[in-house]
Amino acid sequence: MHSTRLLKPLSLCIAYALLLLAAAVTLVPFVWLVFASLRAPEVYFEFQFVPRIRSVQLVEANPRPDLAELWQTLQPARGLRLEEAREKLGAENVDRGLTEGMASLKSGAVDWTYLTGDYFKILLTQPEFSFVRNILNSVFYASVTAVFATLFAAMGGYALAKFDFRLRGAFTRLVLLALILPGALLLAPGYQLLFRLGLLDTYAGLILPGLAPAFGVFLFRQTMLNSVPMELMEAARMDGCGEIRLFFAVILPLVRPMIGAFLLIMFLGAWNNFIGPQIVLQTPSKFPLSVAIAQLKGVYSTDYGLLMAGTLISIAPIMALFLLLQKEFISGLTSGAVKG
Amino acid sequence: MQTPVEPPAQSVTNHISHPQNQINETMHTLSLSPGSWTILALAGFSSIALLFYKDPPAEGLEFWLFSKHHESMYRQTIVGEADPVVSPVVISFQALERRLLSGFLSDTPVPDVVEVEIAMAARFFSGPLEAIGFLDLRERIEAEGLDRRINPPAFSPWSREGRIFGLPHDMHPVLLGYRADIVEAAGIDVTEIETWDDFVRLFSPLMRDFTGDGVMDRYLLDVWETDAFAVEILLLQAGGGFFDTAGRPVLQSEINARVLATLVTWTTGDTRIGANVPRFDAGGNRQRLEGFVICHLLPDWYAGGLQREVPGLAGKLKLMPLPAWERGGNRTSAIGGTMISIPARASDPDAAWEFAKKLYLDKDIAREMYQESLIVSPVMDHWEDAVYDEPVPFYSGQPVGRLYLEVAPAIPPRAPSPFLTIARESVIDALIRTRREAMNRSLVTVEAILPVARRELGVAQRHIEGKMSRNRFLQPPGETP
Amino acid sequence: MSLSRTHPRWVPYFFIAPFALVFGIFMFYPLVDSLFMSTYQSFGPQHRTFVGFENFVHVFRDADFRTALKNTSVYTLASVTVQLPLALGLALLLNRPGIKGKALFRLIFFSPSLVGLVFVAILFGLLLGSRDGLVNEALRAVIPGFPSEFFWLQRYVMGSLILASLWMYTGFNMVYFLAALQSVNQDTLEAASIDGANAVQRFTHVVLPEIKPVAGFVVLLSILGSLQLFELPWILFDGAGPEKRGLTLVMYLYQNGFEQNDLGYASAIGWVLAILLMFIAVLHRKLTREED
Repeated sequence: MHSTRLLKPLSLCIAYALLLLAAAVTLVPFVWLVFASLRAPEVYFEFQFVPRIRSVQLVEANPRPDLAELWQTLQPARGLRLEEAREKLGAENVDRGLTEGMASLKSGAVDWTYLTGDYFKILLTQPEFSFVRNILNSVFYASVTAVFATLFAAMGGYALAKFDFRLRGAFTRLVLLALILPGALLLAPGYQLLFRLGLLDTYAGLILPGLAPAFGVFLFRQTMLNSVPMELMEAARMDGCGEIRLFFAVILPLVRPMIGAFLLIMFLGAWNNFIGPQIVLQTPSKFPLSVAIAQLKGVYSTDYGLLMAGTLISIAPIMALFLLLQKEFISGLTSGAVKG
Repeated sequence: MQTPVEPPAQSVTNHISHPQNQINETMHTLSLSPGSWTILALAGFSSIALLFYKDPPAEGLEFWLFSKHHESMYRQTIVGEADPVVSPVVISFQALERRLLSGFLSDTPVPDVVEVEIAMAARFFSGPLEAIGFLDLRERIEAEGLDRRINPPAFSPWSREGRIFGLPHDMHPVLLGYRADIVEAAGIDVTEIETWDDFVRLFSPLMRDFTGDGVMDRYLLDVWETDAFAVEILLLQAGGGFFDTAGRPVLQSEINARVLATLVTWTTGDTRIGANVPRFDAGGNRQRLEGFVICHLLPDWYAGGLQREVPGLAGKLKLMPLPAWERGGNRTSAIGGTMISIPARASDPDAAWEFAKKLYLDKDIAREMYQESLIVSPVMDHWEDAVYDEPVPFYSGQPVGRLYLEVAPAIPPRAPSPFLTIARESVIDALIRTRREAMNRSLVTVEAILPVARRELGVAQRHIEGKMSRNRFLQPPGETP
Repeated sequence: MSLSRTHPRWVPYFFIAPFALVFGIFMFYPLVDSLFMSTYQSFGPQHRTFVGFENFVHVFRDADFRTALKNTSVYTLASVTVQLPLALGLALLLNRPGIKGKALFRLIFFSPSLVGLVFVAILFGLLLGSRDGLVNEALRAVIPGFPSEFFWLQRYVMGSLILASLWMYTGFNMVYFLAALQSVNQDTLEAASIDGANAVQRFTHVVLPEIKPVAGFVVLLSILGSLQLFELPWILFDGAGPEKRGLTLVMYLYQNGFEQNDLGYASAIGWVLAILLMFIAVLHRKLTREED
């Protein structure tokens, strides 16, 4: 008993250490992203993370006796800021001293002058980027897809979980089949179909095909099999509750966590989808954020600062939404994980 | 059965014990969580907000391009003109390829005029000649003498079997960019370099191990065994490559084998001069800046790209012709490229043709293209423009345009093929296998490695022939299925 | 399982209708289309020749298909044997009594699932850079004598892919495990503890049986998802990677269908994959049924 009492706090410490390590590993890319969206273009590739003040250090003895003149010129640079030294002694002298190994740079405190919000300003205000419109498009596309896909999935799952009808078995098998079919199979025939239906370059063409999520029907079916008691439905019907009202007022509240979870899944999927919108939509003003960001990565050049700022803009709302829905998301997801 | 779900499981027991209460509680409120309500609200608000946005209807000629950069460059010409009215649409690379292909193959909408990149062009040139979705512009080009006004090899990537499917936007000749600050400090005279052997001999002393750990901290050239960009440049420069003008694969050639064997020596052991320095990549750009490599294979567009992406290199680089593979050999190569073309189903091919000419033959746009991105025009009328002689500070005051134009007539022709991607991958794979075997068997000279390179290129050749022969629509020209 | 018996006949049809309609038009019809397509060799949708089962025969002779199958299998195996245990381990740590800030940790671990793939491509170019990539710098700090250049993306293709997928998906799977762990009965655990069961015994005898249904589901999802891997290697290696060591089944499908325009062969590959997936799903069902 005595030893466990000592062990407990120790093992708790180890647990914390491991968790913090894992969290740090997970977060490093995000920290990098934040600085990558703030670092000024002049020093963009000179720092991995935050720009630092660099001061010039001269080595003890001149390693290149043949360049004695340069060595003399560089003497006053000792301890100066790199920018200052370049200005006073000539940029080519300082750079040469660095490449010849006479001088080195010492990084100090954060250099705030090289952190800038310009990338965000450009994206959000300059007309050629119309990012505000892109954000609105994304919100619309993701939220409408999420709402209707969740509704349809919940309805479908309800029918399959709680009713006996002739096509029940066939539909259940179809849903399971659709779960495991590779989506790439549908890319080409899907585009042809949208064209024949006249849905190219419309939001409908983008949203409609996403409204039959087999995974969602499956999840809702699983959840409702387990958490919607038949007695309750019968009781409600005896009470004179209509079938549609029964679904919205009794059944849906019972699967609240699953609704939250699935809304989030669909929102996330639509928000990050960029193959779909690029193929279906033709008018740039209809493009969602994901496409606008992908366009910042050019074939022959990339503007990193803008790209990273755009990425940050697109991640932030998703993070907020996840925070809001976190609890339901987790309990919802696992309620689908039960066999039925 | 166990239920690992807490909240629903609890509610189940609740309902079973007091179904009536629960019904009364929930009947009148559709109870959703704040998060769910947020998404619902977002759906509502954004729908309403979008109702107030009216998209200006696209009118006139529809012009698809994949480069935002190009669009802003053309904007003045496009916006200023009433005839023809043109609506530019920027579509990302993959999507443009997808949509255009779909338009050609199955009648989905196509633009009136479109800019096509070389990597996707090959795909459109596949299949039966009459199934190619672009208008054959040969007659128009010859009638107006454009074939004499535009540098002839610039047409090669856009031509198949005597047809020309577009006007070239560029030529993309390649020069060698070197760190003048480092090279000149060492007293090396680059005019003494004529061949790659000279290059290795004269520059090798520049490789350094600053940290004293026995590993070099400075290499000579940005080539690597997995670097398709560099391998293609070097193969084409040597006179090798992937396909002949008839579209037949020619991977297994003595020239290719020699380049591959040389590349193995450049990336291994004591003879190593190359380093893996990715392009358009934060890490790679930092390594260029630090001088981890001191020479870079620079097509004109990448010379411009480096100037834009790595301002810290300003004043440190100079350009020179590529060292040749043998004395008197070719001093340049070509990589990348764009054309403008007109889909066969375009609504008004004549207007599209006039527009394409205006854009691509225009002297002001050519000049702006150069000033913005250092890309030199393939239109020979413009070559006399003084803008190409202006010193470029980033490249130590050299007349960058002039240097590129001097080598431009010698750029190697490049035959398009729908199997280009596969061919490129096969050659890279052959190089990787050759390198591995050379290392295992401790082969260190080009001559010792050559037999391995020949054999592995043979494997690559058979691989691509196998792929091509399976395709019933794409029999090599001359052998009709 | 109880089913409603006292409803009007139209009710189930009404509820299944929206899904069925959309599914029928946008999924089922194109799927059937692709099934027919798999018996043709095509050049785009308009030029086609009937080849019968030739496409399916060729699949089994195709060396590239075998490469893709091998890579996909290795990746799937790694997902199940490396990623899932890691996810479970994280969940166990996080579920320890006394750990504060659970929600925050959970958010952090889950956050990689929230970002788009364009960012991931750029990110891993940076993390896995051969010389001063962050991963190599970290390894150099920990392992003495770690080489100054280590070519993740150029030579250790599968390794980079697995590393990238660890970052992307471990947190997602952890969320499942964590939720399952939270519903493990604490009284049973305490009783076992009082009976003298150590941590390992408590885990194997109390925790594991309780989280089994969820674990089984996660394993299945992970296998099905891994077998359909495409976009991550596609953007990471800008294609199949050196020596096609990043080639996966769905990528091969995509290359044939959309780069070579042979939708027929692509469909055949897709259906072979579908059959493989179905086989695994059925096997999984059988296995979990038998255990019950």
